Amino acid sequence: MSTLIIPGDSIPINQKSEQLIGPGLHIDLNTKEIIPINSGLLQNGNKSIHIESNSKRYIPQTNDYVIGTVTGSFGDIFRVSLSNFSSSVSLSAMAFPNASKKNRPNLKVGSLIYARVSNADPIVDIEIECIDPTTGKDGGFGLLEDGFVFDVNLAFARNLLFDANHPILKLLVQKCKFEIAIGLNGKIWIKTDDLKYTLACSKSIQNCQSVTSTRFKEIINTVFKELGL
Amino acid sequence: MSIQADTSILNRVDGSATLKSGETEIIVSVSGPIEAKPRQELPTTSALDIIIRPDIGISTTREKLLEDKLRQVLTPVIIGILYPRQLIQITIQVLQSGEDKEYTSKELSTIINATYLALIDSNIGLKVSFAAESFAISTDDEIITAPSRSQLKSSKSSHIVSYEISNGKATKLLFSDSIGTFSENQIYQILDLAATKVEETHQIFRKTIQDKIEKDFIWQL
Amino acid sequence: MAKGIEVSINEKSFVFDALKQGIRLDGRKLEDFRNVDITLGDEYGYVDVRLGKTRVVARISAEISTPFEDRPFEGLFTVSTEISPMASAMFENQRQSDDELLISRAIEKAVRRSGALDLESLCIIAGSKCWSIRADVHFLDYDGGFIDASCIAVMTGLQHFRKNDITVSGEQIVIHSVEEREPVELSVLHVPICVTFAFFNPEGVEENIKGESNNEIYIVDTTLEEDLLKDGVLTVAVNKNREVCQISKAGGLPMDALTLMDCGRKAYDIAVELTNQIKKLLEADYKRRNEGIQYKLRAENDRITVE
Repeated sequence: MSTLIIPGDSIPINQKSEQLIGPGLHIDLNTKEIIPINSGLLQNGNKSIHIESNSKRYIPQTNDYVIGTVTGSFGDIFRVSLSNFSSSVSLSAMAFPNASKKNRPNLKVGSLIYARVSNADPIVDIEIECIDPTTGKDGGFGLLEDGFVFDVNLAFARNLLFDANHPILKLLVQKCKFEIAIGLNGKIWIKTDDLKYTLACSKSIQNCQSVTSTRFKEIINTVFKELGL
Repeated sequence: MSIQADTSILNRVDGSATLKSGETEIIVSVSGPIEAKPRQELPTTSALDIIIRPDIGISTTREKLLEDKLRQVLTPVIIGILYPRQLIQITIQVLQSGEDKEYTSKELSTIINATYLALIDSNIGLKVSFAAESFAISTDDEIITAPSRSQLKSSKSSHIVSYEISNGKATKLLFSDSIGTFSENQIYQILDLAATKVEETHQIFRKTIQDKIEKDFIWQL
Repeated sequence: MAKGIEVSINEKSFVFDALKQGIRLDGRKLEDFRNVDITLGDEYGYVDVRLGKTRVVARISAEISTPFEDRPFEGLFTVSTEISPMASAMFENQRQSDDELLISRAIEKAVRRSGALDLESLCIIAGSKCWSIRADVHFLDYDGGFIDASCIAVMTGLQHFRKNDITVSGEQIVIHSVEEREPVELSVLHVPICVTFAFFNPEGVEENIKGESNNEIYIVDTTLEEDLLKDGVLTVAVNKNREVCQISKAGGLPMDALTLMDCGRKAYDIAVELTNQIKKLLEADYKRRNEGIQYKLRAENDRITVE
């Protein structure tokens, strides 16, 4: 069920069952009412309720997978930028598998990393880590070498990451083999064997943002054709 | 009066909207929440940086006054506590003023409306929707909604009224500003008229937002 | 480099590798100028220029003012180029960064100091009254090429603008409204067009100074992404009479004299193309406006048919 909701609208809350309140909803501190604060499509499930909306500015939330650029290091802490002009977040040199005082990860300014947001309290500095806390192993996180990174809308990035059978990825797989990392901060890193394929994949994904899913195939084919692949 | 609105038109900012209402055309951009400079930072809430730039010439005290009035409208509506220590930067560029420099009512009402759409586009948390309308009282005591440049010039007084809008209905007076001579009765008439007018405008905006959401999620279709 | 925008090592090496193969991220060839989309407003002197994702609006306005004491026979012409954070949060309000200053200076030199607008024609009464023409450039969206786009916008605006007609009788000036008398156009002497080139040396800037392997690559009309990575920049302003109005190269990669000649020639080709595009657009606009007037002025009106 999805209907358009904008700030000021009242939302149908199921009084009987317990529902988790998700993004886009907020409890007013004065009236204790649940109000919508973003405009988007209301997703009203049995257990949870939230507003699905699109944006360009990433606001960190705990457990989000993100791609960041290292902007500097101070002692044991790296500063990482998740999106342009946003406050940078901190990544401890200890938040890597097998890290110790002697075994520091080798990150330069400008390195790309794939990480998980471990603490997202807006009052203090936001922290990210390159380690899977359940296993203590890298879990796919860490330094991203070579390849290319580009920006997409946040809603699109969410959709691409959470849907393992996403039609775009299925279509791209037929064209070439690639490595991909999708950050919920709207950044996608992609790497193939050849520069042209990398460019074609990134252009395809970006162009698919503004068309209906029925046209994905057509868009991907034109992008590859334009680059002579 | 014709209203043309469009959102997500700029690429480098988080939210943007352009609004053409009659002779006035405004473009608004919103960036945020972004990193605030230490002197702007507020410990518990977000700082609001509003910049209004005129269509011709450099900004003067007139624009500063408009910035201040817009801040009065936005402060109670934006939920700042969600973004402590952050900055929300709103830049307004007047493309066509549609009124002489002595007046501000048409510009300000269009700015309020355009800023609403840009804030929605940027996905910044808002408590409630809002809309504004400009009015003028002519020399023969007739209330004119959204006056033209010449009507405004020959009017006795000009007014801006903005309401909070909940479920499509104007609920609470958010802002009202009047310049000129008018009676108490007339201002009440305008406030009543404004409530119905902003509801009409809001219907158009709802359609604009609907279009925007459809465009945002087009890949789902 | 601009504050707040972080470019990763991965992006940098990717862009360089692509340039070495002659590929640009937006699919253009190295020497291609982006498509310029110019829209004229209903009002005279309102021009909206889109250069790829870059968007610039120019407003031309005129008022009567007093000339400078040392130049009594000349009118005034000011170009205002203040970049607001609307274009990108990298631009701060009311505080010019170095990039912003360079952009303003380049436009100033290309448009004002090249004498594109005939200032003497703006004189009304020598030493006491003259027209003051003002060009306000509003930068709305930034994807590189601000100098080129704003130069096109201002020059199109100046040619499109019409100032109110005036009558002078002694020290008295009567300004006629548009309804009363057809407004007059400005006297534009030539149309300078700016073309910006960016230089890259994928082997590192030091190589160039040693002068052993000058493998630098130059590209025309950079996007923001390319702009952030460039090693040097050159702006050439040229008109279609093959007159170079300015060459500005503020530091960066040292370049070969022959490359400079090459860039000049490329800039000329682009300038001719753009000048023609602007001319066609203005002619179409003139035709559209005058169709209405001819309709109003035509002899056969209602009075003839009514007996």
